[in-house]
Amino acid sequence: MGQYHHDIDDILADEELVPAVFLEAVNGVGLFESNDTNRVEPRSKVELPFWLASELHLRHVTSVTIPPCFGKKTQEEIGADGAHVDLRSRCSYFYELGCKIVQLINEKTIGSLLLVAFQTRYKEVLIKAHTSASALAPKYLSLLTKEETKLYEAAKSSTEAFKTWRMGGPRFQKASVLGRKRKPVRE
Amino acid sequence: MYGRKASQLLKEFVSGEPGQLTGFNNDVFAQVIEECDGNILHLQALLRKMQEEGSNNQTNKNADHFGALVHHLSLVRNKRCLMAYVYNRAEVIQNLGWTIKHADLPAAVKEKLSISENEYFGKHSSNLQSYMLDLNLDLAVDMVPPKDPYIKVRVLEEIGEVLLSDQIANLAMHSILFLKRIDAESFISQGKMEELTS
Repeated sequence: MGQYHHDIDDILADEELVPAVFLEAVNGVGLFESNDTNRVEPRSKVELPFWLASELHLRHVTSVTIPPCFGKKTQEEIGADGAHVDLRSRCSYFYELGCKIVQLINEKTIGSLLLVAFQTRYKEVLIKAHTSASALAPKYLSLLTKEETKLYEAAKSSTEAFKTWRMGGPRFQKASVLGRKRKPVRE
Repeated sequence: MYGRKASQLLKEFVSGEPGQLTGFNNDVFAQVIEECDGNILHLQALLRKMQEEGSNNQTNKNADHFGALVHHLSLVRNKRCLMAYVYNRAEVIQNLGWTIKHADLPAAVKEKLSISENEYFGKHSSNLQSYMLDLNLDLAVDMVPPKDPYIKVRVLEEIGEVLLSDQIANLAMHSILFLKRIDAESFISQGKMEELTS
């Protein structure tokens, strides 16, 4: 429990699946639908959400291994052309999960992978956000993780704010909860 | 998989536009609580079984112990998800109080709130109003630093004759008026007027 307890992104990052191997038998859990006996045998290989896998790992019930999204293939692709790797389909909380995994298992390569990936992609995100016409954006946006999408939106809105400041425009806004669309004119 | 439903609830919340609310999802919320009830039943059954076997769960960590652990972790997880859902919605609702008075809330937004959220908004909003009344100062205006005390606005909805701070004005639809900022501001945030810039 801490400052992130109510943070939805932190919670959703914990939902990402990681590969794990059970070291102990576990009784009475319906974790896997194929399992009728409700018992998990030792040495069974499974994919568990991170919130469960990490707690079990700390108690030596399971052993967590590195998720495939931080594997060799991703490392090579990031090294070749980091900015255009589709990270979202691999793990939409790539950076967050990476940081959590490193704290759990001592793995040296992930830290530098995250750093290289973020550095190359950050530059590209900002360039795209400041320049590209909105029609081009959707294709590029579909490659970005949650964190990068937020950066993109932030960069875009600051460009827009700068334009309104320079050109002068309406400064009052309708309350955002009421929605953007104007109400249909009643006849 | 345990906890899947609860995360769906949160995914639904973040998929909406920031600052806007989606309807309170009573269905999934109830399903998550149902899942928690199931977890408790399993947890208690496992604990009972361990007691009957006389095993001390501190020293003898057997398969039942770990089963109970999984159910415990799932309960904690689901609780965290549900709390985050309610908490983040409450934040949006609190911010509402600064732009719209409770009585002015459109029905379309009102039906998105659960019963207790509605009550929360009403009370928060009236607290805010009475505080401003005590101070004799409307804190909800001038959120954007003023450049000029007057602004030009177009009326988007029929409002009718209204007593403003310096005049009685007929705010008919489509009319363009020059009003004091502080009078226009609440109408704009309700979407009944828009600011015109030359």
